[in-house]
Parts: sequence; C-alpha cells; structure tokens
Amino acid sequence: MIQTERVGLTYLDHGREVHACQDVSIRVERGEFVGILGPSGSGKSSLLYLMSGLKTPTSGQVLVHGDDLHAMTDESRAKLRLREFGFVFQHPYLLGYLSAFENVLLARPGEDRGAEALELLDVLGLQSKADRKPHELSGGERQRVCVARALLGRPAVIFADEPTASLDHRNGEVVVDLLNRYRGEGALVMVTHDPSMLKGADRVLHLVDGAMVEEGLG
Amino acid sequence: MPKPLAPRNPLAPGVFLLRNAGKTLPLVLVIMLAVMLIAGIVSMMNSIPYSIRTIYDYSKRYTGITPRGDPSQTPILRQAVLDESPVKLGRVITCRASEAVVRSIVGKWPFVVVALGQDDMRYYLDQMEVERVEGRLPAPGAAEAIISEPVARNLNLKLGDPLLGPEINDAYSPQEVKIVGIARTDRWLKLTPIEYHQANHFPPIDLLIAFAEDPREQAKLDRWAIERFKGERARVFAYELLDRDTEEMFQILYKILNVVIGTLVVVITFMMGMLMNIYQSQRVQEFGLLQALGYTRRALLKRVLMESVLVVVGGWVLGVGCALLLLNAVKSLLMDPQAFALNPLDPAAYLYSIPAPIAILAAAWYTVWLRFRRFDPVGVVERRLV
Repeated sequence: MIQTERVGLTYLDHGREVHACQDVSIRVERGEFVGILGPSGSGKSSLLYLMSGLKTPTSGQVLVHGDDLHAMTDESRAKLRLREFGFVFQHPYLLGYLSAFENVLLARPGEDRGAEALELLDVLGLQSKADRKPHELSGGERQRVCVARALLGRPAVIFADEPTASLDHRNGEVVVDLLNRYRGEGALVMVTHDPSMLKGADRVLHLVDGAMVEEGLG
Repeated sequence: MPKPLAPRNPLAPGVFLLRNAGKTLPLVLVIMLAVMLIAGIVSMMNSIPYSIRTIYDYSKRYTGITPRGDPSQTPILRQAVLDESPVKLGRVITCRASEAVVRSIVGKWPFVVVALGQDDMRYYLDQMEVERVEGRLPAPGAAEAIISEPVARNLNLKLGDPLLGPEINDAYSPQEVKIVGIARTDRWLKLTPIEYHQANHFPPIDLLIAFAEDPREQAKLDRWAIERFKGERARVFAYELLDRDTEEMFQILYKILNVVIGTLVVVITFMMGMLMNIYQSQRVQEFGLLQALGYTRRALLKRVLMESVLVVVGGWVLGVGCALLLLNAVKSLLMDPQAFALNPLDPAAYLYSIPAPIAILAAAWYTVWLRFRRFDPVGVVERRLV
C-alpha cells in the first residue's frame, strides 16, 4: 500500500552534506503496525516525513497505492494526505481558539462527522471535555485529542512521530494503545526512540545514521 | 451524549475573527479610523466649493448683465435681451446693486445686495421660492432691507438689526439700513429698495437681471448671454460661469488633496501591512499544522483572504458609519448654526476612502502569500519555526 524504494534525503547544513536518510526501502501493508526505532538524529522522523509526503526525497521514490507520491503536484499530495493519512506529532498541536471537538473535526473538513468525532472523544475518555479549549486540557488529554483527530475518518495510514515524547510513560502507553486499538483497518507507522512503546508492533525497523540496519518482528 | 455546539465549519473566517476579537478588533479599528479620517478630510474640503454653490445658488434663477464702464449701455443691453433671447422671458428687471459680505469657513466672501422696485421685489422673492416673510417688505425709498433665513443665521442677524450702515466696514451705507423682513427660503438673498440705493450709493449704474419664464430654461439663457455679449461692453453673471470658475479654482486644491490622500493611503497601508504581518506571523503554528494535515496552500490562502476581506470590509463599513455620524454631528452643531454648507452624504468623501482598504487588503494578502511561498510545515511540527 505504501512503499519506499531506495529513498534518500540529503541536505546541506552549513556547507556540509547531511544524509538524513539513505537508500531506505520498506513496504507497509494495510492494517500493519510498523515501528521505526532509532536514536536521536538517526533519520526516523525524516523517513516518516518522506513517507507521508511532507518532505521530498533527493533520491528514490515513495509509492502510495502504486503512485509516485512526489511526482504529484503539491495540491494533489496535500489532498491525498488529508484523505488517506492521519497524523500525530511529537507535540500535541491543537488550534487554541477551537474546542477539542472542533479540533478533531479539522481532520475531515466539509464532512459531517460530528457523531464520529464525539464517539472517538468518548472512547478516548474525553466525552466530558469535548467543549473545552486546548488550554483547559492537560498534556495527556491534548495528545488524546490529537489521536482522535488522527483516527477521524478511518485513514488508510496513521503516521505518529514520537507521539509519547511529551508525555509521561503511563500516558505514553495509553496513547499508543489507543492508536493501535482504534485504527481499524488502517496501518500505523510510528517513530520512537523508546522500544517499550512498540510492544504491539507487527514489525520494527531500526535506523542508524539514516540507514536501515535491521528489520525485525515487534 | 449531547453534541457540543460547534460551527458547521470550524475554519470559517468568522469563527477565527470572532474568537480572536482581541487581535482582530484593533485592525478593524485602525481601518475604521483611516476611513473616517479620509472621509472627514474630503468632506470638509468639499464643503468649500459646496458653500460657494450654496451661497450663490440664487444666481441659478436669473442671468445678470451689467454694462462695462458706460452706464448708457443698459437700455441697449436690455433691448438686446428682450429682442434676441432664445427663451421666453419671465421678466427683465432693471436694478441696482452694492457689495456686502457673508461668512464662510474660510473667511468672508463678497455678497451682492440687490436694490429693487416694490413690484420687482415681490416678483424676485416669488422666483426665489420664498414660502413666507417674517416681518414685512422694505417700504419704497426707506433705509430698510429684507434678507433670507440662511443669511440671518450666517451673520447672526434678526429683525431690527442693521444690515448696512456707516460704521459697518464690509457693508457700508451712509444710513443705517435695518432689517424689516426675513424671508423663509433656502436661497441666500439681501434686498433693499431701489429708491434708497439710487439716493445713497455709488456708482449710479443700472444693471439687468433677466428671468426665463420657465426656470428649467435659465441655463439656456445663461449660455446665450455669455456668447451674445462676449467682447461687448457688458459683463454677464451666470451660475454656469460661477460653477466653471469654482471648478477651476479648486483644481489645484484637489490635486493637493489627491497627494495628501495618496500619502495617507501609502502610510496607512504600510503600517497595516506590518500589523498584518505580525498578526499572521502569530499564526505560523496554525498554518503549519493545517498544511501538515493536508490543507492545500490555496485553501489556506483563500481562508486568509476571506478573513482579511471581512476585517477590511468591516472596518470600511464601520468607518463610513462613524464618518456619517461625525459629519452629521459637525453639520448640526458647528455648521448649520452659521449656515455653513456641509454634505455628510458627499459621495466623493466615501469614494476617496475606498483605495485605503483595497491597498490594505492587497498588502495583507501579499504578505501572507510571500510567507506561504517559502513555508515548510515540517519546521512547525518539529518546532523549529515556533
């Protein structure tokens, strides 16, 4: 469903060439939970951004349903991201002037998904806080709202970039568990440096210095 | 579980603007003040030519013809008018005139005191659409005058006050000419009996004022007289000439006005562009998140444009409303009591206020467009740009 073929990302940092990602080839199938593990600066997030179309590879290609993601126009790629992908970032980004419920609805603009958004907030334990603004929620609650936003509309792939980084261990486990439990048929690609968060993963890829060094079962 | 109250589209421009009133209201207020300032300046400037047209509006109703240097020309001129007029004449009156003044917002302006016979005075007042006269008409030969209500307000005069007199420098007459009548009409007029004028005023020159029978044909008579007496020993006073002279006189003033307004628009636009830039830079995280989620640049630009349109149009509408209130207040409290002309509904004032909001809108949109052009949402979600 989503596949990288010898994908690479190189950029210049103060005149020095940095290989954020080198010749990484992986394939993620529908319903899979794939963990990407590695130390800080190993290129995990870069790989996630390449796979989700947020960054453009300098070599290789990313295929989504067989189509080259980076051959598409910016507009088509953005639309694909909105339609097919869900995102949970390291920091629980929410729009401060919208309620938790309205923030969840952002994932599917123009669609009548109020009932589904409420159901998600309910299963994520936020039913009583749907009307609250982000500043009225704790860090863990904000990240759970982000999870609900990523799950809305049952996207084909959910990309989670260190979703537990700003949470304590217990809240981190809750967030990963929720993502895994409610993603339905969607694949989950999660980047982390904490192996304990990938207990439920089908496969785990190990990255070091931008290159994949090992692929194993979760 | 009850559904929380939420707008149908959480990203509708109105939602952001209303929920961030603390940030958006100052922008609306700046635009409102700019519009109010421009409309106020233009309206006050326009009140000067508007005053000229209002004060001398009486000349719309007749064509004045005076001999140049030779008083014996008057009967010849009169005969020419009677014989050659292209329109049917109501009356051609032989009269006398002396000069006095009225007050305007830019100082004193000359104003004619027309001296008429009793019957001609009645006809004159009738043509000036006088509804009624408070007091009475001046008696033949008496040192008496009748003025209209705007003149009374302008010069702060009432029945019994002197209009002309030996000690009034701007309105000299050897005897004190007292006001015995105030005519209810919007037109400005000062009339005295011709016999008094003939006995007391210099030079002894008879003038002509010619009324078309149909007021709608007065302009035609004006144009004819201007052409007919060109190069002859006669001078024509017609509203059309006054209008043309006023237009010419204010051309330079309007050029200065355009430069002032243009500079104002540039300064306000520059300031607003900077404000909008600061305002939008506070939303980098929002734009980054939405772009990362999959919102296209075009959709986000469209949203920002819609928000800017609402801010600018809102500011303009409020500015126009406040300008109307302010100008009406100025008119009723400062201008009307002295019969100074001011048109709070002057279309030019509001037309001049349009370029500022349009320029502000263009600057705001261009600023955001520049920002989006080089915008990397990953920088936001990785917290490099926050």
